[in-house]
Amino acid sequence: MNKLKIASSAVVCVESKLKGTVSVGSMTVIHPKASVIAEAGPIIIGENNIIEEQVVIMHRLKDGEEWDESRVLKIGSNNVFEVGCVVNASAIGDHNVIEAKSYVGEGIEITNGCIIGAGCQLTVPEKLQDNSVFSGSSCSLSIAPDRPPAQTLQLEFLSKVLPNYHHLKKVKKPEQVN
Amino acid sequence: MELQDIFYNKQEYVETASGNKVSRQTVLCGSQNIVLNGKVIVQSDAIIRGDLANVRTGRNCIISRNAVIRPPFKKFSKGVAYFPLHMGDNVYVGENSVVNAAAVGSYVFIGNNVVIGRRCILKDCSMIEDNTILPPETVVPPFTKYSGSPGLCVGELPECTQDIMIEFTRSYYQHFVPLPQPDKHGAK
Repeated sequence: MNKLKIASSAVVCVESKLKGTVSVGSMTVIHPKASVIAEAGPIIIGENNIIEEQVVIMHRLKDGEEWDESRVLKIGSNNVFEVGCVVNASAIGDHNVIEAKSYVGEGIEITNGCIIGAGCQLTVPEKLQDNSVFSGSSCSLSIAPDRPPAQTLQLEFLSKVLPNYHHLKKVKKPEQVN
Repeated sequence: MELQDIFYNKQEYVETASGNKVSRQTVLCGSQNIVLNGKVIVQSDAIIRGDLANVRTGRNCIISRNAVIRPPFKKFSKGVAYFPLHMGDNVYVGENSVVNAAAVGSYVFIGNNVVIGRRCILKDCSMIEDNTILPPETVVPPFTKYSGSPGLCVGELPECTQDIMIEFTRSYYQHFVPLPQPDKHGAK
């Protein structure tokens, strides 16, 4: 059940916690102390994502459910998960920014270009509109005209610097991990 | 008011010659780039990201549990750069707080669950209350108190803030003591 698949250009620090069947796309950076926990089904992380410290991405098992290989949590490309955010979303698209210490509850579908502001708590299961921006203490919603820019330059920097300081998880082909 | 003693497990903490007390349960990335200037307490599960850029703290700083000290980045036309993060003396960082500031002055109090946005500048003798979210590039002037999301100025601090913070961080350090070790027979 614990199968890790990490693309060769991805940077995944060993101090991060990947549990269950997790696949990490190319150029994705996972910082130390981040956790990606696949309880209910596999998690597939796309390309060019940044997952920072203390982030928790959970594919949570509901009561009375069991592991289902076909129930996949798909995370698109070019997303940024900032320090300490907790994401239990059912699907995540592309170009989203989940800012520090925000919370995304179960059953929420994050589409494309959304920004969940720092400290915002989303709990109502719904499908967010493209380019939604949540901000402030009341989590007020506005729609941005454009999606946030991709963090390609930061990714390049991180994938250059992090291997100098951290041991990386490297898995070439899927293998059994205890 | 006298502070209560805070006990820690002697095996869990490392004490350096300059009096820093650092938990073994912390993540200090790129430790060669981190300077703790003496009598600094770093509690368990705190994260200091020295791998991104240099981090320097002054004397008598306290970094509480689960806090993250992380140099901020800025995007330029050519590439990105992470800026070194300097912290002054007698700074308190509360539990679960994220500090992305460019500079933190001396005698600054940062509460619990605070998010300091990228490249914020906290001047000397300022205070950030619990659960505050400071937007990126905020400058917090001296002797002010910030609170809320987004963080706004809610009040001023008295002129004696410097003395209060020195007193507070010093007595915190003095009361941060190892658990009394029971002797071999188990008696106190």
